[in-house]
Amino acid sequence: MVDRRKDREDKMLEALFRSDPVPDNGFSARVMTRVNRRIWVRRLALPAAFVVGGIIAMKPLSQLAVTFSKFLVFVPSNFGGLTLESIPQASTIVLGGLLLAAMMMITKMLEE
Amino acid sequence: MAIRHAKRLSIGTDTTSVQGSEDIELVSRVVAQQDTAAYGELVRRHQSQIRNFLRKLCRDNELADDLAQECFIHAWEKLHTYSGSGSFIGWMLKVAYTTFLQSKRKSSRYDQVLEKVGHAAEVGGSTHTQESVELSDLDKFLAVLTEEERGVLILSYACGLSHREIGDAAELPVGTVKSIIFRSKERIRESFEIEDHQYG
Repeated sequence: MVDRRKDREDKMLEALFRSDPVPDNGFSARVMTRVNRRIWVRRLALPAAFVVGGIIAMKPLSQLAVTFSKFLVFVPSNFGGLTLESIPQASTIVLGGLLLAAMMMITKMLEE
Repeated sequence: MAIRHAKRLSIGTDTTSVQGSEDIELVSRVVAQQDTAAYGELVRRHQSQIRNFLRKLCRDNELADDLAQECFIHAWEKLHTYSGSGSFIGWMLKVAYTTFLQSKRKSSRYDQVLEKVGHAAEVGGSTHTQESVELSDLDKFLAVLTEEERGVLILSYACGLSHREIGDAAELPVGTVKSIIFRSKERIRESFEIEDHQYG
């Protein structure tokens, strides 16, 4: 009895909730326009960011180049004759670089 | 699953018409090739059900259609996560329900319905006042429910999802879904003093 009443109640609710299909009226086209725009934005985002970043960085980079060229005047003429041993802790720097490279390779392998 | 299916299909389905394809095939084509024609077909097939669901949930057609657009954009972004284990419309309804819950522009129209119903009752207890005439029985029934109860009831009776599918869509255990449906029906009966299950 309870189940039968339940069925009847459920059918009544289903009838109450039933509605006509919503006509498309350009809805799908609007969605696809937004999807296509999103695809293009994603494609253009990286090159655009590169160009904008380059333009923004151009002024400080040129200033840095000018400043650096002024500093070159103070570099001693025998600077080119320096050997690796004359740089303090050169072996530590080389070892650190090798370790960094190895870590990057391992990380890439793990990702793959 | 969709990705595995996509790998199989990507070998030779370029010439397949999108209109005659199953949902899972279209999903696979979208995932494998970013096929916008296939996605367009999915949108055309399911827009009515998604918009109907959101219209009932919001009681505001314009807002519901905006949310439906958002829902299809989210679905495009997340299509690779569709496992293929349930129906595609079930997965889409889950995306729609999540979009609705996350929306900051959630409609409060049901509060207005509740006010109108209360006002009509105070005025004379008649169900034929000008304000109540504008409201359907469904609006009045849904207005007395909480947002969660409303969502579950719509998924069950308007969208025809099974309890398990509703559980997946609303991220609720099946037992909770059943108890929410039971509780909602009880609340409707109590609120409108319905006897012998006479709805409508």
